[in-house]
Amino acid sequence: MLEPQFESALAHRAAPDTLSISMREISERGMIDLRGLATDKKFMSAVKSVLGFDLPKAPRASTSWGDLKALWLSPDQWLILCTRSKTNSLLAELNAALAKIHSLAVDVSDMRAIIRLEGESVRETLMKGSSLDLISDDYKAGTVRRMRFAEIAALLHVVEENVIDIYVFRSYAEYTWAFLTKAARKGAEVKLFKR
Amino acid sequence: MLVVTCPVCNASGDETDFHYGGQAHVRRPATTDPVNITDEDQRDYLFIRHNPKGLHFERWRCDRGCGKWFHAARDTVTMEFKATYGITELPPAELIKEAKGPWADYFKKRLKEKA
Amino acid sequence: MSTKPYRLAEGGSRIDRSRKVTFSFDGKDISGFAGDTLASAVLASGQKLFGRSFKYHRPRGLVGLGSEEMNALIGIGVGSRHEPNLRATQIEIFNGLSAESQNRWPSLKYDVGAINSKFSRFLPAGFYYKTFMWPKSFWKHVYEPFIRKAAGLGKAPEGRDPDTYEHMHVHADVIIVGGGIAGLTAAEAAASTGTKVLLCDENPVLGGIADLTAGMIDGECVADHAATVAARLAALPNVHILTRTTVVGHFHHNYLMAFERVGDHDPAILASGAPKHRLWKIRADKVVVATGALERPIAFANNDRPNIMLASAVRGLIGRYGVTPGSKGVVFTNNDDAYLTAFALKKAGVTVRVVDSRARPDGALVKRAIAEGIDVNLGSVISAVEGTSGVTAVKIAAYRRGQGRVITEKRVDCDFIAMSGGWNPALHLWCHNGGKIEFDDSLQSFRPKSHTDNIVAVGAANGTMSVEATLVEAQALGKKAKKFIVQEPERGASESLWFAPATGKYNEGNKHFIDFQNDVTAADLELAQREGYESVEHTKRYTTFGMATDQGKTSNLNGLGVISEATGKTIPEIGVTTFRPPYTPYSFGAIAGSLTNDLFLPVRRTPIFQWHSDHGAVFEPVGQWRRAYTYPQASESKHEAINREILCVRNKVGLLDASTLGKIEIKGPDAAEFLDRIYTNTFSTLKVGKCRYGLMMNELGFLSDDGVTARLADDHFIMHTTSGGADRIGAWLEEWLQTEWTNYKVFVTPVTEQWAQFAVAGPRARDVLSKLGPDFDISNEAFPHMSFKQGHFGGYPVRVYRISFSGEMSFEVATPANFGQGLWNAIMEAGDEFGLSAYGTEALHVLRAEKGYIVVGDESDGTVTPVDVGMEGMVSKKKPDFIGKRSLEQSFLKGPNRKQLVGLLTEDPTDVLPDGAYAVAAVKNKPPMEMIGQVTSTYMSPTLGRSIAMALIQNGRSRMGEVISFPLEGGKVMKATITDTVFYDKEGGRIHA
Ligand SMILES: [Zn+2]
Repeated sequence: MLEPQFESALAHRAAPDTLSISMREISERGMIDLRGLATDKKFMSAVKSVLGFDLPKAPRASTSWGDLKALWLSPDQWLILCTRSKTNSLLAELNAALAKIHSLAVDVSDMRAIIRLEGESVRETLMKGSSLDLISDDYKAGTVRRMRFAEIAALLHVVEENVIDIYVFRSYAEYTWAFLTKAARKGAEVKLFKR
Repeated sequence: MLVVTCPVCNASGDETDFHYGGQAHVRRPATTDPVNITDEDQRDYLFIRHNPKGLHFERWRCDRGCGKWFHAARDTVTMEFKATYGITELPPAELIKEAKGPWADYFKKRLKEKA
Repeated sequence: MSTKPYRLAEGGSRIDRSRKVTFSFDGKDISGFAGDTLASAVLASGQKLFGRSFKYHRPRGLVGLGSEEMNALIGIGVGSRHEPNLRATQIEIFNGLSAESQNRWPSLKYDVGAINSKFSRFLPAGFYYKTFMWPKSFWKHVYEPFIRKAAGLGKAPEGRDPDTYEHMHVHADVIIVGGGIAGLTAAEAAASTGTKVLLCDENPVLGGIADLTAGMIDGECVADHAATVAARLAALPNVHILTRTTVVGHFHHNYLMAFERVGDHDPAILASGAPKHRLWKIRADKVVVATGALERPIAFANNDRPNIMLASAVRGLIGRYGVTPGSKGVVFTNNDDAYLTAFALKKAGVTVRVVDSRARPDGALVKRAIAEGIDVNLGSVISAVEGTSGVTAVKIAAYRRGQGRVITEKRVDCDFIAMSGGWNPALHLWCHNGGKIEFDDSLQSFRPKSHTDNIVAVGAANGTMSVEATLVEAQALGKKAKKFIVQEPERGASESLWFAPATGKYNEGNKHFIDFQNDVTAADLELAQREGYESVEHTKRYTTFGMATDQGKTSNLNGLGVISEATGKTIPEIGVTTFRPPYTPYSFGAIAGSLTNDLFLPVRRTPIFQWHSDHGAVFEPVGQWRRAYTYPQASESKHEAINREILCVRNKVGLLDASTLGKIEIKGPDAAEFLDRIYTNTFSTLKVGKCRYGLMMNELGFLSDDGVTARLADDHFIMHTTSGGADRIGAWLEEWLQTEWTNYKVFVTPVTEQWAQFAVAGPRARDVLSKLGPDFDISNEAFPHMSFKQGHFGGYPVRVYRISFSGEMSFEVATPANFGQGLWNAIMEAGDEFGLSAYGTEALHVLRAEKGYIVVGDESDGTVTPVDVGMEGMVSKKKPDFIGKRSLEQSFLKGPNRKQLVGLLTEDPTDVLPDGAYAVAAVKNKPPMEMIGQVTSTYMSPTLGRSIAMALIQNGRSRMGEVISFPLEGGKVMKATITDTVFYDKEGGRIHA
């Protein structure tokens, strides 16, 4: 039987040591795009019965328990994060719980590439490509934001003060990687307001 | 470059994070009665738009944000957004009152229908 | 040229006399001190000449002190690092800097183009417009070579720029533009309230012209006070200071662009990895314009000679760099401020006299000058300047306001002139986004009036010229104003002096320059008025006054003044020309930022991109995607490779990377009804597990997209769109659900990139897939054409669509993207024994054309209906409403003479019609000919051994068998017979194999 060969978008990329931040691809994460109405109590409680916690209702918020996370994308859309190997079973559980409820859960684990950025200047590095005020209080740990980054669409997840995951569609992974390696190179750091 | 604020998710951003969707409150005749649509009705629906100097009503989409469409009332001279409101809603009453020309006529008609 | 030492023995707040810096200017080594600008160092070396003027090639020297400089435009760096058109007054020198003057040939001193000056009476205002009307031959042989020599400032760099550039975004509560005394005070006041303050200044050092300003603040001189405030600001966490950063534009909702010269002044900074320039994109709640004021030149005869400078520039050269333009100067003024320059010169040991147009000035500074024994000529003007590459003497004449020409003159030897026609608030930023301004009689200038944005002007930018009032105004940015004790000289009134008369009139051999950079004289403006260019905007375009990089910084008011005197209208009646961004020019590098080379455009890669690349693929752009076009082997041409790939699919089996196809999951109780509204044909009748090809129109009734949709469950579909349409159609579906059919319970999730998708097509396709170990039956009976299955190929999860765009038996296999490369390799391996080959998009296009399948965007162009392409059968007659239905019924879309899609077979089977070729009703010797349609797709078909084409032809479907003509370039005419569009396997048996 054919053994499936797994190859993530940036499998061949390692960050050069000339960067002011650290940067790597996260490929071991499973992702489920979940649609349903936040106003639909049955939907919300069915999802809670599977995840063990409430989906976040506040814009740009995220909730989590263990290796499960739910990122708010829209009043009727969330991105559920899990360990990649558990994606199929989680999706099956969600579909079972949501069988009679208007919803749509899709495995999108391969649709986006995730790049983890770590370091004191991650926010300023991202601000070379994003018009958002990422050094403001709007972007505390846990915040999720879809945005325009450089010339493409991206999803930002503030994991910790100095740790940010950036999600881009898989086809743009190389572009994003190239942009970030250029923006984050040593010597080009920008420190805003003496942060 | 305008700053737009989405009334659905409250996110503010450059207008390039949003998508401008043309004039608001254009009614599609076929949705209500697909059979009796005159050529004039269809022409008005497809092509006839207001172009006011001053208060205008528009459609925008929170393109790079929550993805939702919404309505905005904007002054085309000062560029100020007077209000944003739901995509199925009419503007706030005070702005309906402020509306001039074809917009005033339109809202008068809509409010009459509602009543 | 004089070789006298122009560096004073002492003084120079900006320079470090212990650090010598050597650089080259026009190939000559010159040394200055650390802190010198190119302007100060070159002038100190004794060279007055910095460039030639744009039109007349007149010798030009320095005029200004900073970004207002309009003459001394310099190119720096060599080869690919060359950067033209920089102002010498802003270039900070460093060891090894290589600089050169511009717009001269063969050398600055001996310039052939200077002959233009002799012909100047042929180069009046509107010269270009007038010349275009002359006979063609005259233009080509006389004027064009002439202009080519004359025009063009600087030269382009050679080769790719090796430096890097970037953009940066920043948000602030308040942005202060300008770090002079007004800006510094405003910044400190604003910062005291805890808000985030961004302070930008174009100079390397904060303080603006505090060092050129007379007075004391709390016992400190203005410059020291500024330095103290700057130091306090630098320590505040809520203040971010950007120096060497010019705010070049102000746009809607307080969006600003600023240009930072990060590494221009020090090669070590560039070597450390920093970008050369950075473009800041700034968003601020409030903008404070503290851009100061610009000193006006005076329009007197030959006022452009080298060593005629603004009074403030002369003062700055002495104070900042310890440099004097000469040993004997004349200060020519209509205001008190220039007297400070006279004092500075006197203190530096330079002989100075003052020419003041005012008959009875009564300010403190004038009195002091007279008391100090300076020769002050009141009620006088400079009526003539002697010398061409410098100044040797001036004539001073008695002056009465309104006087057209002067009669009595006295001649005075001198080697430089410091002029001051008053100060204009720098209004550019205020006006970029529609700020209103008003004329202020006491200033003899415009000042800010009102603005729709949250923006204020403070200090000189607001027309507030006294230090004390500036401090009060700027402190309004804070909550509590501090009371400063300010001592400053009391100023007398100035009076307007738009034109200093000479012995002749405007156009009698005297050039009174208004716009130095564009070589526009008072006579040009006066002529424009006589020729009827009444609107100032017309005058601007006709004469080029206030255009280009100067943007009227020094020329605007003087120009208006001259027009005012020529027309008898007041300046407010004339109005101002529009100030456009940028305030000063900035580099192309900064505009591009980091988006160059591999980042120039985002390129989308499929999961198989690297394989394609490794296997010699030629790529083609499809939207932002790069798709494999064909895979030439060793010695194959592209054409041979395409033919091989086509025949491989027809005879054996081929493998295509179709991952770019749009894929959208659609689910909900109303999903089927929703699709019925989206597509022209019906999907509610589609059985679960089946696929159907669908057409989409826009509301105008024109084709917008097509693709195959499969039904996964009663309430669940997966839609395919074209590669280019994926994002658009995803958004389109959302738009209809959110804005029109809001009662529909349907969710739509685009999943294009989740899947790698491949077409396995050809007679041996099933044989290949069988070898992959499918866990479902793939026989024709169990898995017929237009059906769908999901399962596994070995360990690979797959969704398989039995659909065909090639006309052969075909399976489209989708697997999660990260498994894509693995499955692709497995298929290649399994297919080896069946002769499988990868095929690219061009082979695909020929294959589909042989079958007459349309491509939306080739066969349609946004004005083509489904009926036009012969697909009326797919437009439902039963469904009451779907997108575009009502428009399709409009008479003009139903009427006769619509172009209809047909096939074409050329008379000569080796003739391939050019793409887009026009068919005509009758061939004539030359156009115009009546066009009856155009070719939409055209190929040499290796399957048929002849060319084939599709075309949209008027009433084409009723003209089967007719021969039509295509006149081509070069007189050739191709003839082709109209046929139906299916050229191969008309019965369609092969897809069902
Ligand atoms: Zn939103």
